[in-house]
Amino acid sequence: MIRPCVSECNLTNGHVTPIQAVLRRKKSLSKLNFRGIKKEELQRRTSMYLASMTIDELYCEILFEILHNVGCDISYEVGQTALFSYAQDAFKIPNDKHRYLLELAEKKEAPDRMINVEVIEAKDLRPKDSNGMSDPFVTLYLSSNMSHRYNTSVKTMTLNPVWEEHFALPITENTADENLCLEVWDFDPAESVKEKLGKIFDVKGVKGMRKLVKEIAVTATTGQHENELIGRAKIPLSTIPASGMTMWYSLDKKNKINRQGVLKVRVTFSSEKNNQVAEQEYRHLLRIVLLHELETSKVAANWWCGTFTPQGEQLLTQHIAQSGLTPAEVALCQYYVYSSIHQSHALNLTLFSNLLEKLVKPLQVGGVSDEDTKLFWDATKKLLPSCFSIIRKIRRKSVTEKAMVKQVVEVLKILNHIHSLEPPRSNIDLFPDTMYPWVTYQDDRTVPTVLNDAVAQGANDWLNHILENNNKPEESNVGKLQNMIQIIQLVRSDLQKAIEFYDKFFQEIVNFQFAKALYVFYQARICILCEPDVIEICKNLRSLQYSSYNDLTKQEGSPDPLAEGTSLFELYLALQRFATLGIGLCPADYDTFHIKNFHQWFHGGVAQWLDIAVYKALQRIEKAVELDQLVHVDSNVKYSSSAVDTLTIFYQVKVFWEQLNWPDVESCYTFIAKIIDDICRCCVFYADKMSARVEGMGDTQDDKKFEVTAEWCLAINNIDYVRETLEPFTRDLGMDGVIHKIGEMKSPVEAQRCQHTLDNVIANAIDTVRNKIIELLETVVNKMAPAMKRLLIEGAELGDQDSNSCDRLMMYVDNNLGTLHRELNEENFSRTLEVVWEMLNGTLGEIIQSNIEKRRPPAFFANLRKTLKLMTGSFKNPQNCDNDCDELRRTEQILRLNGLETAELIHEVHLELAKEFEKVKDSQLGEISIKTKFEENTLTIEVMNARNLLPMDSNGTCDAFVRIHLLPEAKFTNIEKPKTKTHNRTQFPLFDETFVLKLTPEQRELEDALILFSVKDKDLLGYNNQYIGEAYLPFKDIEDTSQSIGVMPQIHLQLARPTDKSMCLDSIKALEYRQGDKQAKEFLRKLKQRMGT
Amino acid sequence: MSAVRHNTRSPNKNTLLKVVILGDGGVGKSCLMNRFVSNQFDEHSFHTIGVEFLNKDVEIDSETYTLQIWDTAGQERFKTLRTPFYRGSDICMLTYAVDDKISFKNLQLWKNEFLYYADIKENAQFPFIVIGNKSDVTSEEREVTQLEMEMWCNENSITSCIETSAKNASNVHEAFKMAVQHWLRLENRADRNEPHIDDTVDLTKKSTANRTSCCIATGDE
Repeated sequence: MIRPCVSECNLTNGHVTPIQAVLRRKKSLSKLNFRGIKKEELQRRTSMYLASMTIDELYCEILFEILHNVGCDISYEVGQTALFSYAQDAFKIPNDKHRYLLELAEKKEAPDRMINVEVIEAKDLRPKDSNGMSDPFVTLYLSSNMSHRYNTSVKTMTLNPVWEEHFALPITENTADENLCLEVWDFDPAESVKEKLGKIFDVKGVKGMRKLVKEIAVTATTGQHENELIGRAKIPLSTIPASGMTMWYSLDKKNKINRQGVLKVRVTFSSEKNNQVAEQEYRHLLRIVLLHELETSKVAANWWCGTFTPQGEQLLTQHIAQSGLTPAEVALCQYYVYSSIHQSHALNLTLFSNLLEKLVKPLQVGGVSDEDTKLFWDATKKLLPSCFSIIRKIRRKSVTEKAMVKQVVEVLKILNHIHSLEPPRSNIDLFPDTMYPWVTYQDDRTVPTVLNDAVAQGANDWLNHILENNNKPEESNVGKLQNMIQIIQLVRSDLQKAIEFYDKFFQEIVNFQFAKALYVFYQARICILCEPDVIEICKNLRSLQYSSYNDLTKQEGSPDPLAEGTSLFELYLALQRFATLGIGLCPADYDTFHIKNFHQWFHGGVAQWLDIAVYKALQRIEKAVELDQLVHVDSNVKYSSSAVDTLTIFYQVKVFWEQLNWPDVESCYTFIAKIIDDICRCCVFYADKMSARVEGMGDTQDDKKFEVTAEWCLAINNIDYVRETLEPFTRDLGMDGVIHKIGEMKSPVEAQRCQHTLDNVIANAIDTVRNKIIELLETVVNKMAPAMKRLLIEGAELGDQDSNSCDRLMMYVDNNLGTLHRELNEENFSRTLEVVWEMLNGTLGEIIQSNIEKRRPPAFFANLRKTLKLMTGSFKNPQNCDNDCDELRRTEQILRLNGLETAELIHEVHLELAKEFEKVKDSQLGEISIKTKFEENTLTIEVMNARNLLPMDSNGTCDAFVRIHLLPEAKFTNIEKPKTKTHNRTQFPLFDETFVLKLTPEQRELEDALILFSVKDKDLLGYNNQYIGEAYLPFKDIEDTSQSIGVMPQIHLQLARPTDKSMCLDSIKALEYRQGDKQAKEFLRKLKQRMGT
Repeated sequence: MSAVRHNTRSPNKNTLLKVVILGDGGVGKSCLMNRFVSNQFDEHSFHTIGVEFLNKDVEIDSETYTLQIWDTAGQERFKTLRTPFYRGSDICMLTYAVDDKISFKNLQLWKNEFLYYADIKENAQFPFIVIGNKSDVTSEEREVTQLEMEMWCNENSITSCIETSAKNASNVHEAFKMAVQHWLRLENRADRNEPHIDDTVDLTKKSTANRTSCCIATGDE
């Protein structure tokens, strides 16, 4: 606006036209045309003048003002010269023109300046009336013109009166010695006053009333009444600055030392200028001065905040003082000028917010003319774009955070002020499309809506910017994912910055939730950005290709699914953090955000992550085992580093799970099941790797003996240690919480089922690992087996001749078990023992079998048995044997039998048969009744009868007799085998024969001697007696008594025969192996006969 | 039942077999499993959430096998939840309901899904067993005949199939037994390291296996 004007002025080199001269000053107007010019005419002329004002005229005016400076602060002589030169520079006026214009200015008559005095209040006045109060009023006058007095109203009955009355006193040119005098009087209501008070009722209107009061006051000051002076103050005009001042003055009184009270007045200079003209002049001046100063001082953008050089300040202050502009008018002009300059040279925004603070009140109460209001809004319109631009460019890198915060705060203050003013909608378009192309609101453009848009647009621009910058032409999914992660991170840090620096101010100053608005915007954009890609990537995820958990080699050719899955998870975490931020920022609205369900995009990816987690875990486990030094982690524990590492790896899986923090409960449950299952696999894998690691250790080359090493034990302990942590680990996964939630969501029954499933999975996992441990123990024991076997055989071969070998076996076992006992925990050690015994048993069985087949002599087995007994005695815990003890017993039995001489073995057969026959009931073969007794060494047997004998002959009956054998046969060779008579053709023969057998004491004392009753069918020729059946009676069942045989109870013995089943008896089998032994052969032949075949 | 297994396992390990039951929602997978494991039938059972899991020991040829039975949810929405469990399976039971044609048609999908996620290379060798559940329905309600099932199995080189009813317990145990035997057969074959992998039934093996090996149809008997 001023620029074309300046150029125009320079061109015309304008002279002051008469009409302009006339118009320039209100005084002139009034003088020449007082009451003569109509208001409209005046207005018209003003506008004309305003429209045609030139820079020269303004310059001239400024020179004029310099010549007639007011106020104390310009009294020094240098000031004037400096001001002239400053003004000349600022206005860019050539010297000759300056001189010419200065002349013009000097010729102009001095201005009629006024001093404006506001008597505000007084305090602590001396009481003058009898009632301890005063009725004060103030009289003021200039010392050069004492007769022209001005009085305030009278405030009755107070010592702290408040007047707030304005007075304008014309001042002459010579202000140097002039004083403003202020006197406070106590009004005395004398008679005359009473009279005058009577007039009050006749007074009409305020004017009249004022007159009356004045009259009273005048009367009072002329001393006609006894008004009393309270005190006076004298203010030299030279002490008053051009910008005016407000001061407390103490009141003095002649001859009185005491203070008479204090009086507060405001004094300013003014002149009677046309307000509109003065304002415009001021605007132009301000613009010229500011541009000049900005140019000369080279002040940086956003820096200038209202401080001029003293000269500039002086010019402006003088103009204000001499034009009588009110502070509001000044502020408005400044606001207008600054706004306009701000467009080309950014000023400090504090300037505007401060000005607005001053302006808001006048604008609100309507104390500003329409013209000025319009100017204000024009200025605002110019100012606002820069404000919104700052909001939009809040992320500018060139400005420090702190400076930006300051700027934003000022902007917000400005916006708040402007918003509080309710912009007029009719005559001004505050947000024209041309300047706000980015605003989305069409109709309802207010400061808040535009601010909202500005924030969103700022975010939008910034986001687009980073999208462009980050948009590398990445084809791979990993690239895409990394891109998204980076963008989300940037967005998140932007949000955090917003929260940290700006949100507070936005909320406090304009009640705008900045961070939240940003979040709402970002979440929508991020959803659009990520959702389709994530879903697409998840859909096309290739499952990890590794053939088994034992074979971690990756398949060639396919893109690395590991990196893809990892990136996907990183993105998930990034989004999760972003979502969390949202919950914090907008707790109420979060549920409506699309981002809320972001996890669903990843649904397809979770399985992949779990797979990756396992895969990685397996890799790390492999590494951990590899790196394990196989030494105790410390002296207190019995495991080594890889066990600890493996637990750490599990812990990482748990961390992964915690990070995942999957919101969907049902899925959670399944994932947990999967993780437990996977962890179990890891355990098994670890066990495999661990045992592979120690495989081969302890194999001694020279001796071909396997030594149990501490490493083996460590391996077992490690696996067990890992196993033990399985259950606590799964609890740590938050299983119970998930189950609980299922219970709430579905039903307790279903929750129970889920719980059950998980428990099962865990139990299975633990079981599987325990199996693995047992497997390992078996491996160890199997490695021990060859050595033990060798030693066992050696022991058996050599027997008592060299008990050394047995000792060696014992030492070997003891050694190894010792190591195991020392290194393993109790549970595993007892497991080991079980396994050792199982193995030993098997080995023995093998040895026995192979040696039986080799027809080893009984001594061999007897030795073997001794060795076995020795071993059993030395380290088998008898409480510990339940089922496997049966096995052991059987093995021992076989050994015992095979170790017997043939005769003994044969008796063993008898004993076993006797045992078997005892079980027989209701025999088809019939039964016999006998009576027996011992007396001393005499055995008495009465064979009474037989019943229901199986018919052997074609006539359906038999011809039976009983033969009695005493067994073992070898011990009773001296005794003839008694035989009953044969009873023909009856199934119920009555024998009634008694045999008395004299035995030696040794025979009598035989432990397991037996009586065998063989019932036979007599063949006609007597050669081929048929066997009916037999029965055993052990010696120990026979009573030792002196009673006669007649009173002894009858014993009924069921008849039986050896059966096919009997042939399976171990003793018979052992006999069968003694093919070379005649005795054995004979016995077996007879046995076959006895079977009745 | 897990409590029973705790700490009582003898040093002789059982063979652990992981069995996965697949099929459309509602064909009665959970019922089948429950019937097999605890001999119970729950007419109003819930949808399986993700997976269920039970253990059961079976004895075949005096060998004990512990079946880890993973019952998966059939609904599509659980797809990502069940697929992770496929890996490491020893046996896969493809299940449909004889009164639901669609569930039968979907067997192909289930088989494919399984093969994809279980990472199985020689698919012909994997012990699949096809189970037609709900054989207790009336003939009017029946939508899939045994013939159809057998034909489908032949086309897919699956040698074991059976109709069962979890409701009246018919053939349930047989089905699981059959599955294990099938597994055993393949395992033995793998052990023997036979280089040729044929789609036809190995007759020599059939005799040693001592059982009917193809499509025994006992459901209606």
